[in-house]
Amino acid sequence: MTHHDCDVLVVGSGAGGATTAAILAEAGHDVLILEEGPWVEQGEVRPFSLAQMDKQYRAGGVTVALGLPSIAYTEGRCAGGGTEVNSGLYWRPPEETIERWRSRYSIQDFRTDDLLSICEEVEEELSVQKVPGEHTPSSQIMRRGADRLGWKNDEIPRWMAYPEGAGATEGTRQSMTKTYLPRAFAAGARILCEHRLDAIVRTGRRAVGAEASHDGESVTISFRDIVVCGGAIQTPAILQRAGFRHRIGRTLAVHPTVKLSARFENEVNTPDDVSVYQVKEFSPNISFGGSASHPGLVALALTDNWRDFGRAVTSWPELAIYYAAITSEGRGIVQTIPGVRDPLVTYRLTKRDRDLLGQGLARLAMVMLEADAEEVYPSFKGAPVVRNRADISTMASSFAASKASVMTVHLCSTAPMGDDEKRCATDSHGLVHGSDNVYVNDAALLPEAPGVNPQASVMAVAIRNARRYCDERAG
Amino acid sequence: MSQPNEPGIASSAVTRFAHDLLAAELPALPPDRRADAVGFVVRRVESLPSIMRFGVSTIGLSVDAVGALVGRGRMRGMITRLPLPLLAEYPRLVRSLGFAYVWETWPDTLVDGGAAS
Repeated sequence: MTHHDCDVLVVGSGAGGATTAAILAEAGHDVLILEEGPWVEQGEVRPFSLAQMDKQYRAGGVTVALGLPSIAYTEGRCAGGGTEVNSGLYWRPPEETIERWRSRYSIQDFRTDDLLSICEEVEEELSVQKVPGEHTPSSQIMRRGADRLGWKNDEIPRWMAYPEGAGATEGTRQSMTKTYLPRAFAAGARILCEHRLDAIVRTGRRAVGAEASHDGESVTISFRDIVVCGGAIQTPAILQRAGFRHRIGRTLAVHPTVKLSARFENEVNTPDDVSVYQVKEFSPNISFGGSASHPGLVALALTDNWRDFGRAVTSWPELAIYYAAITSEGRGIVQTIPGVRDPLVTYRLTKRDRDLLGQGLARLAMVMLEADAEEVYPSFKGAPVVRNRADISTMASSFAASKASVMTVHLCSTAPMGDDEKRCATDSHGLVHGSDNVYVNDAALLPEAPGVNPQASVMAVAIRNARRYCDERAG
Repeated sequence: MSQPNEPGIASSAVTRFAHDLLAAELPALPPDRRADAVGFVVRRVESLPSIMRFGVSTIGLSVDAVGALVGRGRMRGMITRLPLPLLAEYPRLVRSLGFAYVWETWPDTLVDGGAAS
């Protein structure tokens, strides 16, 4: 058995954990990071490939929130977490969202100016910028279609470093393994990769140690405080196993998405990249963007109607995949079951959610037709091939969310923060209600899905809370 | 039609189902590629989160057992066609994994699974 000691144990090394570790280590705390997944250098595996899913995603990327329909989701499981594998698109939290969270959940010291100031720091650290050179064909399609419809659209900046004038595919991802984790290490933090946290040992309101495993070996860790940053699914599971239940895992929020593939006259497929243009005409209710379009993912997108759509798979270089995402009123549950390793995840869409998904898919098909798509293949069972506006009506009338392949990559709100104890699992700075030294500092804290890519919100909130922690200890 | 012959997984209900489904829906997929794809499907099923894995295994075993009585092809056709909650997710999962693997590994594969000449 191996034993480690530290001041603060940070569980998870994604957008929440890496930023937390850097801030705490730089303030002089002895930080140990526990990461369940491996350290994978960029370039070791092809982006968005099955090999990447094997190496850097939980369960090879095959994870599902059960419901009608079930919603497929993915979780990064590697050093750097989701920042290593996602599209790197960066959206500041909308000001009205910050204000709504502050008032609705009684979050103290949650000032818009402060958070946006942290966002500026993050943007500097991650080289958040737009593509300096040429865009991929899939980006140009999204922009062209929206422009012709007169719909609001914009290029979303990414955490990428580009050589001067470089095109979209020539950037280097400025993920956590390139930014905040090296900062944390430079300040003395340590990381244990491929170590799974099995249990938090408690004495009353205090957590006094952690039990982990690595390659079948037991590892114990002593700490003063523990910060759980395992993401919106694992964080509530960890807390529930430690006996914390109050508002933990009861309010999972996601941005459900439905997809379509569109075929064009010329080659448009860029397997290793996604569109950086998003359509926000119907935001925050509905947004459109581009998905990874590897030939394998194209085949996957066509499988719901293989008999009618399958022939398109041989034209995959001329196909690209796009999504319509909605802000959902529905909520999900993350529930651990004694003796079972992984939590049960469920999600229930409301009628309004289901209607929005149908509307979103129809409008997304319009964008594609305006962008000169020859054929559009919506991802739901029984969907027609869409070649013109009349087909969109047919498609809309035959759509049902229960027949669609619904998925999400944005998961949050399973341990919402705020001083309103009836609604929230932690206080306004992430301290778990009922505990003296167990903190949460990741996407689980966001009280609702923000309606935009959430990782900027996660990093801003995590840095805010980490600084507060340091100030309190210094005082 | 070739049969799966990898030791250890040959007896798995999921292996049989995946093999039959790919053979029916991608009839020209060469046997070695089919075996690779089936192996991938089974590995992914084995790494599913606990509750999903339990559900898929239970459905897989049930489908396999009923299929042994009424005919595996008939059983596969039935659960593929009928919109049965949860049960219909089984062929959908197997097809999704299998097809994604085939076209990611051999992008020039034809729609019937045949290798491009």
